Amino acid sequence: MTTSTTVTIAASMRGGTKDYGSGDAAVRALDGLDVDIAQSEFTAIMGPSGSGKSTLLHTLAGLDRLTAGESWIGETQITGLSEDKITQVRRDKIGFVFQAFNLIPSLSARENITLPLDIAGRDIDPAWFEEIISILGLGDRLTHLPAELSGGQQQRVAVARALVARPELIFADEPSGNLDSRSGAELLGFMRRAVKEFGQTIVMVTHDPTAASYSDRVLFLADGRIVDEMREPTADRVLDRMKQMGH
Amino acid sequence: MFRLAARSVQHNPKRLLLTAFAVALGVGLIAATHIFTDSLDRGFTRLFGEIYDGVDVIVEPVTSDGDVGDPTSGDSVGKDLDDAVVQTARSTAGVELAMGSTEAVGALIGTDGETLAGGSGFGPPTLFFNWTGVEDFDSATIVDGRAPEGDDEIVVDVGTAEAHGLTVGDQVVAGGADGTYPSTVVGTASWGDGNNTQGATLVWASLDRVRELRGGGDGWSVVHVRVDDGADAEAVAVAIDDRLPDGVRALTGAAKAEEQAASLGEALKAVDVFTLAFAFVALFVGAYIIANTFRIIVTQRTREFGLMRAVGVKGQQVRTMVLAEALLIGLVASVLGILLGYALAGGIIGLLKALGPGESFAVPIIPLDAVAWGFAVGIVVTVASALLPAIHASRISPMEAMRDAATQNRRGLRMRNIVGGALALAGAGLTTVGLYAGLERPYVYVGAGAVLLVLGVTLLAAQLLVPLAYGMRDLLARVWRVDGRLAANNIHREPRRSANTAAALMIGVMLLALTATVTQTVKSVAADAIGGQFTADLMVVSTTVPGSADDAVVADLASVPDVRTVTRSASLDARVDGVLVPVTVLDTATAEEAIAYETEPAFAEIDGGVFVSPSAIEAGAEVGDTVTLVGEDGEVTLEVTGEYPTSGDGDYFVDFAQAERLGTTIDVWQYSIVAAPGADVDHVRADLEDLVATDYPLLTVQSPDDMLALANQLIDLMLAVITALLSGALVIAMLGVANTLLLSVTERTREIGLLRAVGARRRSVRRMIRIESVVMSVFGAVLGIVLGVALGVALIRALEEFGFETVTIPWVLLGVYTVLAILAGIVAAWWPARKAAKLDVLEAIAFDG
Repeated sequence: MTTSTTVTIAASMRGGTKDYGSGDAAVRALDGLDVDIAQSEFTAIMGPSGSGKSTLLHTLAGLDRLTAGESWIGETQITGLSEDKITQVRRDKIGFVFQAFNLIPSLSARENITLPLDIAGRDIDPAWFEEIISILGLGDRLTHLPAELSGGQQQRVAVARALVARPELIFADEPSGNLDSRSGAELLGFMRRAVKEFGQTIVMVTHDPTAASYSDRVLFLADGRIVDEMREPTADRVLDRMKQMGH
Repeated sequence: MFRLAARSVQHNPKRLLLTAFAVALGVGLIAATHIFTDSLDRGFTRLFGEIYDGVDVIVEPVTSDGDVGDPTSGDSVGKDLDDAVVQTARSTAGVELAMGSTEAVGALIGTDGETLAGGSGFGPPTLFFNWTGVEDFDSATIVDGRAPEGDDEIVVDVGTAEAHGLTVGDQVVAGGADGTYPSTVVGTASWGDGNNTQGATLVWASLDRVRELRGGGDGWSVVHVRVDDGADAEAVAVAIDDRLPDGVRALTGAAKAEEQAASLGEALKAVDVFTLAFAFVALFVGAYIIANTFRIIVTQRTREFGLMRAVGVKGQQVRTMVLAEALLIGLVASVLGILLGYALAGGIIGLLKALGPGESFAVPIIPLDAVAWGFAVGIVVTVASALLPAIHASRISPMEAMRDAATQNRRGLRMRNIVGGALALAGAGLTTVGLYAGLERPYVYVGAGAVLLVLGVTLLAAQLLVPLAYGMRDLLARVWRVDGRLAANNIHREPRRSANTAAALMIGVMLLALTATVTQTVKSVAADAIGGQFTADLMVVSTTVPGSADDAVVADLASVPDVRTVTRSASLDARVDGVLVPVTVLDTATAEEAIAYETEPAFAEIDGGVFVSPSAIEAGAEVGDTVTLVGEDGEVTLEVTGEYPTSGDGDYFVDFAQAERLGTTIDVWQYSIVAAPGADVDHVRADLEDLVATDYPLLTVQSPDDMLALANQLIDLMLAVITALLSGALVIAMLGVANTLLLSVTERTREIGLLRAVGARRRSVRRMIRIESVVMSVFGAVLGIVLGVALGVALIRALEEFGFETVTIPWVLLGVYTVLAILAGIVAAWWPARKAAKLDVLEAIAFDG
C-alpha cells in the first residue's frame, strides 16, 4: 500500500470528539478521531450501527458541531465559526445527497438542481449543467416535480444538484439506501464517474459492502474511532472485514 | 373516542392554541356585548325604580297614538295637562294628595355669560322642575340651604354644584327658549339617594319660573298622586284613568318604572343587535380558520388515521374523534371567551366610569344569556367548521398509512369552483336586479346579493387568488430569488388552504372598504348638501330643544346690523290620509336666497299651497291636485303648487301661515341668516353671538363650515366605531394567517431542513415565510378592497333616491388598509418564521413528517 505525499487534503479532523447528552446519560459518538479526506477521492465510511459514522459525516460537513477537536474544509477551519459562516461554507463548498427526501417537492427537477446556486446567487454554467444532465440521463425529466419521478431518478437529481455548484466536497448519506439494486448500482456508478472524470471529492456513509466497493478507500469506524482502512476495496473484502468487526 | 381525542389535544396543544384563541375572541365579543347591556339594563332598572319609588300613581299626557314623550329630553309629545286633570285626580276616592308638576329644558349660565350647563351643544340636558315641597314627588332632598321660594331663587343638584363650584348665595342666570332670568342659588339638593342624574343638570325653581322657561302656558307636565294609607295604588290608578279625558292616562309609579325600563331595554336591544352583528362577523371569519386548522391537521395525521383504519377503527369513529376534538376545543375556547368577554365588558364599564358617564352601570355579572350564547356559538361554530375536515378524515383509506407522507391527496377544486361560481353569479344577479330592475326597496336585493357574492368569491378565491399569486412567482423570484420562488410555490401548493386563509382577511378588509366607501360618500354628499344647499352666510340653530317660531325671535335676529334676511326652517308632524308624514315649514319668501333649494318653481311662488317631494309624489300627490294635511288642532286643504327634487328633507313643504293653521307645535331647527352684500360676516357673527348669549342661551351661531365639520365629525366617529368593532375580525384573520403558516412550517420541516443543509441561511428561511405571509395577506386585502368598494358603490346606487348620486372612493383609506395588510402579513409571519429559522438542520432532515 503506497501513500502519495502530494495529495491535497479536502477535509480533515483532529481529535474530533462528540458527546450527546450529559452526565451519566452522556453517549460518546466520536472519541478523539483523526481523519484526512484526500481530494479527488471517493471515500466510504463504514461501521456498525452506533459506531459514529453518521456523526462523523455531519460534523465534517458542518451540519453538527464537535464537542471537542477541530475540523477543516479545505483550508477553512469550521470549528468555531458562527452558524451563518458555516452555512456559507456549506453553500459554497459542499454538496449533499441524503438517503431520502432530497428534493423540495414544490420545485421542478431543474429548479431543485440549481437550488444551491440560486441560494448563493451564483450563475449557472450552462455547459457544465448540460454535461451533468446528459451523464445522469435527466434530460427529459427536468420539468417534472419530484413526485413525478422514480426513486432512482430522484436520487440522480440529488446528485446533479450536488455536482452543479462544483463543490470542493460532496457528502452522501446512504445515497442508495432506498433504491433497488439496479438503480443503486447506476447511481453509485455515476458518483464514481464524477470522481474519476471530474476529480470530484466524495465522502459517503454506507452500511452496504457493495456500495462501499465503488469507493477508492474505505474507513472502518467502531466506537467513535477509525479502526481500519482499506484501499481499492471489493465487496467481498469489505464484507469479510465487517464480519471480523462482529457485524 | 373522546379519550383518544383528549389525548390528541394533550399531545400537541400548540397547534390548536391559535384556533382556540380565535374562537375565544369571537365568543368574547358576544359575551362582552351581553354582559355590557345587562349591566346597563340592571343599572337603569334600579334607577327608574328609585325615581318612581315614592310616587303611587302618575297622570300624564299621551298622544292619540298612545305615545309618551321621550323621558330624557323632557319633550312631551302630548299637550300640557290643565287644572281640571289635577282636580279629577284629587277628587278620586283613595287619593290622599295629587299635585301637578312642570318641567322645562333650559340652560344654566354664569353671570359672565359663560354657559355652565345645557344650552347649545350636545350632552345631557339641563332640566328645570318646580319645587313641590313633597319629597316623594320632587324625588329630591335639600342638602345645603333651603328650597326655592321666590321666582328668582333656584336649587341645583349637588353634582352640578360641585362640578361648577356653585355654593349657596351664588348668582347665576336661568335660560329658556325665549329669555333669560337672573337667579340666586339658595340651596343644593340630592336627587334620589345618590344624586344619580346620568350627567343631567337638575334645577328646581318656582312654578312660575319653570312655566316661563317652558315658553308660557299654565298647564302641568305631569300629575303625581299619593294614595291613602292602605289603598291599592293599582285600583286607584284604574279609577283615575276611568275619569280622565282622552289623551291623558293614569298608571302606577311601579308600572311607569317598568315601562321606562322596558323601553330602554328595547333601545339597548338595538345596540345589542348592532354589536352582535360584528361579533358574528368575527366568528364567521373565525370559522374559516377553524376549518382550515382542522383540514391541515387531518392532512398531517393522514398516516395516523390510515393506521387506525388499518387496525380496525371505523371511518365513522375517526370522524367522531375529530369532532370530539373540535368539541373539546369549542368548550375550552368558550369558557375562555366568556371570561375574556367579562374582562372586556368590565374594562369598558370601568373606563366609562372613570370618564364620567358610567354611573348608571350596575356591577357587571355574567348573565345566563351570555353563558348560553357563548357556549352555543363557540361550540356550534367550532364543531360545524370541523365537520367537513372530519368527514374527509373518515374517508381516509387504510392504504394511506403505507404511503409516503409527502404524497399529497390532491382533491380537485371543481366542485368548489362550481358552487362558488353559482353563488357569485346568483349574488351578482340579485345585486343587478336590485340596482336596475326598479323594484321596491332595492337595498334588500343588493344586500342579499352582496352576502351571496361574498360567499361565492370566498369559494372561488382558490381559483382566483392562488393563480394570481402564482403568476407573481417570476416577479417574486426576480426580487427575492429563490426565497420568493419558494414562497410562491408554497401558496400554490395548497390552494384551498391559502385561499381560505386569505378569505378570512378578505372578509374583514371588505367590510372595512365597504364602510369606508359608504362613509366617504356620505361625507362628500353632506359637504355638497351643506356647501351647496345653504347659501346662507350663517345659521342660528338650536341643538337641545326646538327653537321658538315666535316672530319676536326673528325680529331680534333681524335687528342685528348687516343682517339682510332671517329664514326659519321648521318641521312638524301632520297626517295625510291618516298617515303621519314629515312636513317642512319655511319662510318661503326668502327661502330661495338662504337655502339653495332647487324646486320647481321657486319657493317664493308657493302661493299658499304645498310643495311635494318624490316620495309624496309616489304616494299619489301631483302638481295641481289638492292635499289635506291634518294637524293636532286643525286641518288645511292645499293645492300642490310645486315639486321638491329629493326625498329625505320632508315629504311636504308649506309656509308658516299654513302651518300655524294646523295647531301643531312647530319645531324650528334653524334660522338661516343672509348678511347684507359687502358686510363683514365675522362681524355679523360676533354680534349674533352676543345677542343669543344674553337673550337666547339655547341657540348657537354656526357657519356652513362649522356644520360641515360637525357632520364630518359624526361620520368619522361612526367610521371609527365600526372600524374598532371590525378590528376583532381582523385580529382573528391575522391569527388565521399565523396559524396556517405555523402548521405549514411543521408540515415542511424536512424541506426547510434540506434548504438549510444546502446553504440557505436562517435569515433567508425567515424571509421566505414572511414573503408567503405578505403575499397572502395583500391578495386577501386587495380582493377585499375590490369587493368592498364594488359592494359599496352598489349600495350607494341602491340608495340613490336618498340623494346619493356621486360615489367617492376613499383612496387614502384603501391605501392605508393595503399597508396595514402588509404589516399584518409581517406580524403574522413573525412566530412561524422564527420557528422555521430555529429548526435544527439535522433534526429537521430526520423529522418524520
